[in-house]
Amino acid sequence: MLRHLFSLLLVACLAACAGGNRFVLLEEEDGSVGTIVIANEGGSQVVDEPREATRVGSATSAPSAPEVISQAEIEEVWGATLDASPLKPRTFILNFIVGSNRLTAESQAQLPEILAAIREYPAAEVAVVGHTDRVGSEQRNARLALQRAEAIRDLLIAEGLDADLITVDSHGENNPLIVTEDEVPEPRNRRVEVTVR
Amino acid sequence: MKSPREICPVLRRALFALGFSLLLAAPAAAQQEQVALVKVVAGEAYALRAEQRAELDVGEAIFAKDIVETAEGSVGLTFTDGSRISIGPNSRVQFTEFQFAPAEGKLSFLIEFFRGTMLYVSGVIAKLSPDAVKVKTPVATVAVRGTRFLAEIEGD
Repeated sequence: MLRHLFSLLLVACLAACAGGNRFVLLEEEDGSVGTIVIANEGGSQVVDEPREATRVGSATSAPSAPEVISQAEIEEVWGATLDASPLKPRTFILNFIVGSNRLTAESQAQLPEILAAIREYPAAEVAVVGHTDRVGSEQRNARLALQRAEAIRDLLIAEGLDADLITVDSHGENNPLIVTEDEVPEPRNRRVEVTVR
Repeated sequence: MKSPREICPVLRRALFALGFSLLLAAPAAAQQEQVALVKVVAGEAYALRAEQRAELDVGEAIFAKDIVETAEGSVGLTFTDGSRISIGPNSRVQFTEFQFAPAEGKLSFLIEFFRGTMLYVSGVIAKLSPDAVKVKTPVATVAVRGTRFLAEIEGD
């Protein structure tokens, strides 16, 4: 009797535990594919193809060779998780007329679009982040980028955006669109990014 | 000289004020900047912080070191760098470390995923410093290179 119960439990557990521990690489929303590296005391495994999964039995056993799993299986195991994924943040890049703190016509025209995008996001937040190129000192660029971001914040508030939703930050010269050597002028890096999330 | 009876209320008030400020000091010391906001909730999800368990609604802030867990429900968060993490039912995750200050060169994101199902979508931290992002689980650690991935962990 006890033995029966034990094997029943074993079968139930095996069924429930069929998933085990696993990691599955997905395509990004823009279609690109990154890489994950799964490592433990037993070894490490690179996974770099979409829907490839590696299984890990324990902290001391090496991750398995990756195998592609079906979309149906992904839906079955991670359906609720995928459904709970927040909307992808949307970034607008605003540029200034060279040597001024006025926006270019294209950038000015984007402001209504930013306001419209905010309405699509639950508990919307807006990050206004200033960026510079690498001409000048890091500290000066951090300040300059902050001033640019503050100018855009004021503009968005004037356009009707709720001030409470906005945070202002400066990434100075450390988050360029185009990577350059130090002291190289790069107009495309002088920008304010407005991210709605 | 005041009689003990007169001193007493003063002392009591002082002690009360002291006790009250200590009470306030504990959360104040633990208080940090918001690292994420709850964007999606289906069913019930909870945050564990300072030994309190609070039910999460859309729009609520998540702080570094918070544990987020579910029983039947699922929950989705967007971090200040644009990273997104959602967990399904019977899941438990902790945001052990989160620093996003590129101008000061401070970038780190340590996620401890204890059990359940999770979706991770990378944000700016992973873009600027891929090595700054780590997802630790009981069986292995995940390093990311600009990516989106799923995890399933049995836990205990």
